[in-house]
Amino acid sequence: MTAITLDGLTKSYDATDMDDIPDNEIVAVEDVDLEIEDGEFLVFVGPSGCGKSTTLRCIAGLEDATGGEIRFGETVVNDLRPRDRDVAMVFQNYALYPHMTVRKNISFGLRLSSALTTPEIDSRVTDVAEMMGIEDLLSKTPDELSGGQQQRVALGRSIVREPGIFLMDEPLSNLDAKLRAEMRTEIQELQNDLGVTTVYVTHDQTEAMAMGDRIAVLNDGLLQQVAPPEEIYRRPANEFVAGFIGSPSINFFDVSVDGQTLTAPSGFSYELEDHSVEDDTVRLGIRPEDLTIEEGGDDMTVTVVEKMGNENFIYGTVGDVEVVARTPVTVRPEPDQRVGISFAESAMYLFESETGAAIKTKTDEIEPQAAQF
Amino acid sequence: MSRQLLVPLLDQVRFKREQLKDRLPTLPGTPLLFLSPFFLLFGVFLAIPVFYTFYLSFFTFQGVSTEALFAIDVGAYQIMIPEMANLQYVGLDNYRRLLTDSVFYQSLLNTAIIFVVQVPLMVALALGLALVLNAAYTRYKGIFRSLLLLPVSANTVAYSAVFIVIAAEGGLADIALGAIGIPPIDWISDGFWARNLVAFMSVWRWTGYNMIIILAGLQTISPSLYEAAEIGGATKIQKFRHITLPQLKPIMLFVFVTTTIGVFKKFAEPMIVISSGGPLNETRTIVYYIWQVAFQNLELGYGSALTVALVAIIMTLSLIQFKVS
Amino acid sequence: MHEKLEKEALWQFGGYGFLVAVTMVMMFPIYWLVVASTLPQSAIFAGGAGELPRLIPGRNFLANAEALAARPEVDFYRSMLNSLVIAVVYTGLALLFCSMGGFALAKYEFKYKRALFMGILGTLLLPTNLLVIPLFLLVSNMGLSNSYWAVILPWAAYPLGIFFMKQAMQSIPDSLLEAARMDGASEFQLYYRVVLPSMKSSLAALAVILFLFQWNLFLWPLVVLREGKYTIPVAISKIMSNDMIAYDQLMVASAMAIVPMFVVFILLQRHFVNGILGGAVKE
Repeated sequence: MTAITLDGLTKSYDATDMDDIPDNEIVAVEDVDLEIEDGEFLVFVGPSGCGKSTTLRCIAGLEDATGGEIRFGETVVNDLRPRDRDVAMVFQNYALYPHMTVRKNISFGLRLSSALTTPEIDSRVTDVAEMMGIEDLLSKTPDELSGGQQQRVALGRSIVREPGIFLMDEPLSNLDAKLRAEMRTEIQELQNDLGVTTVYVTHDQTEAMAMGDRIAVLNDGLLQQVAPPEEIYRRPANEFVAGFIGSPSINFFDVSVDGQTLTAPSGFSYELEDHSVEDDTVRLGIRPEDLTIEEGGDDMTVTVVEKMGNENFIYGTVGDVEVVARTPVTVRPEPDQRVGISFAESAMYLFESETGAAIKTKTDEIEPQAAQF
Repeated sequence: MSRQLLVPLLDQVRFKREQLKDRLPTLPGTPLLFLSPFFLLFGVFLAIPVFYTFYLSFFTFQGVSTEALFAIDVGAYQIMIPEMANLQYVGLDNYRRLLTDSVFYQSLLNTAIIFVVQVPLMVALALGLALVLNAAYTRYKGIFRSLLLLPVSANTVAYSAVFIVIAAEGGLADIALGAIGIPPIDWISDGFWARNLVAFMSVWRWTGYNMIIILAGLQTISPSLYEAAEIGGATKIQKFRHITLPQLKPIMLFVFVTTTIGVFKKFAEPMIVISSGGPLNETRTIVYYIWQVAFQNLELGYGSALTVALVAIIMTLSLIQFKVS
Repeated sequence: MHEKLEKEALWQFGGYGFLVAVTMVMMFPIYWLVVASTLPQSAIFAGGAGELPRLIPGRNFLANAEALAARPEVDFYRSMLNSLVIAVVYTGLALLFCSMGGFALAKYEFKYKRALFMGILGTLLLPTNLLVIPLFLLVSNMGLSNSYWAVILPWAAYPLGIFFMKQAMQSIPDSLLEAARMDGASEFQLYYRVVLPSMKSSLAALAVILFLFQWNLFLWPLVVLREGKYTIPVAISKIMSNDMIAYDQLMVASAMAIVPMFVVFILLQRHFVNGILGGAVKE
């Protein structure tokens, strides 16, 4: 049960030591400040190579931070070995020891770094196995287990140590979709029960939205935004966050603003009620579900209609911009048909075209009955 | 019961070990620590000798002391190695001598002839066997593979002895040839046949080994290539020429390079043939000659020069084989 | 269609014929060796007119073996023990050094790694027989000659071995090592509690290769060992260097050098095949 503080965390690789990398220095994580509360479930998300795994590995002690401080509670842990940090980690490929039985896999860490006697270790392993529902597998080796079972063993291995912090590096990405959804809730329940601070890395924004108390979005080694899922979705700090979160992705248009009139090069224009936007060119963002398709208009050429059963995804082009709208099943235009599009100003995002910083985000209210639940 | 008693004790040992580990500093040089035993031996027994050979090739022994450092007795030869005596620098003399040394050329020629007899026969057999073992119709593949691979584990000197007994006068080889009407062959003391005997021995030993390597190469060829050719109406022989052979090229290169090195370092087989009465001049391989020069005539300097020359030859041949393919 | 089937049958017949014929020819010397070791000398060679060497086992094996033991100039059974001790100790040491070195090369980043690796690759092409001269001087000066160590140590850093282990260990996922680090393993515990146990089949493959290499080494032991320390190949060469070779004893000695190894080899063959293929196919 530990809070984590990252204070200007930086990790760069000095490649002069290494043979394989041509450049001299590669910055993987740059100046990340972040406080993770005790018992919180924080998810790092971002595209591959954004530095999320590196950050996690710095927290784990598998990589040495090249700048900044990592504190667990009040203790600076930069110079502690992984074993001295009281953390446990779950890896993407589970990293179970192939030559050990499940029982040995789970007890290995306790035997190496705890002062527990063998009977104590045995009973702890049994408890954890019961908790994870793998008590029948204890004498098997990892190659006899299914992916889901291996995942449970990997989780059990980290729980048994009763660590202050759980670190999880894309633990679900090797599972098939159904199992992944199942394990997702299971991990959440487990974390709720144990109340252990958890840092979770994923490239899958749906997973991040579903699991995190808060989400930290990283790109190019820089922390973009840290906020609860809903805020990340509704009030992204910049264009990158808006584009990364949400599926299908948000639609972007380059538009010019002239006073109150917003004009897209493809031809459509919009009268703003808000007068405060001063930039003459900005990026306009509209989430697919906020786009309304109107028959008889002339804004968009439909290219593909994906019928999902409960909703339709309508793909098309507005000028040369590709656009997707998420509509009720009743809206089903034909390919090549010209349709109109419209959206509410409250659903609009605007970003500075130079820096990508958000100027305006969603202002529409969440419908009240949702809050009453 | 005894195990029950042992557990607390083992636990105590474990605690002590882990406490000790905590006190040990983390070493930044862990990989070097792992590498050091290997590279210590590598440096002393491989790297130094490589350079030392080169160095020795510019010297001769001077004033052999009478005190024997070491003596061995192999058959007719009495070998005595004196204590390290003074070395005298002779510059390139050893190499000049080498250029005009007819025995050196003869032994190179012998090696080359053994190569020419051994390699085509061995590669053809190995390739043929591998093709049959790779074919879908063949049964008991595992058994055939095991049997054919067995010779590679045979002790070099011991199997040479078996071949000597089979090839000796009145031995089975003559009788088998006699049965199909061929007069007895003087396998051991006739120069031509003694060389062939050495080559045949090596074929026996290494065919299975190379077969396994070629077989692995065959199994990496994608079946879709053959299917495509079949649709195009190719015959078995066309498929072999236009698909199998080109696809096997890297594997065949490996086989040729390793075999070349193997032939050039051949020592046990000619030594056994010679010591059972084979003709020295026609059977002596280059390594055998180096051994004679160094350990019978005690000319370590000249022997080193021969070694350097041989290494140069092997490297050149390997490079040429790589270039050609 | 009928013609095509006939052709196919012909191919198969030819293929099988070739396979069986070659296998029989290859197996014959081994069969004959076993037979000859049970025969008196007179039955190994053709005698007078029409009398053939025997092709079925006789009853002289024990007599031949006793005669072999009685030879004054070489103690063959001692040489078997020598060979065994040397090959076993050698295999153990070389496995340890090659696996440790291979682990460092495969799983750590450090300065001059590539240079070290290139140094190893450079010696792969070098026939080991050729280093005998300088090695002899070196080993003599170290006072090691005529000892087991003289045969064991020089080849314990076996370049192909470290190369092979490096290649094999690159397949160990980094995360496995990291998991062990998180579990509190020291770097050395990593090596012997995680890496070694998960490399069992590669280690077995290398062990077979190393054992055979040492078991068959001839020139170097011939140069560096004296009576009493002889290995099997040297002892057999001594038996053969007599003017009057006792062929019956020679055959017993050869059978004892070859046949037990065959048994071991058949058991471990899978590993040996993996070993040589690890060297060849990955190039």
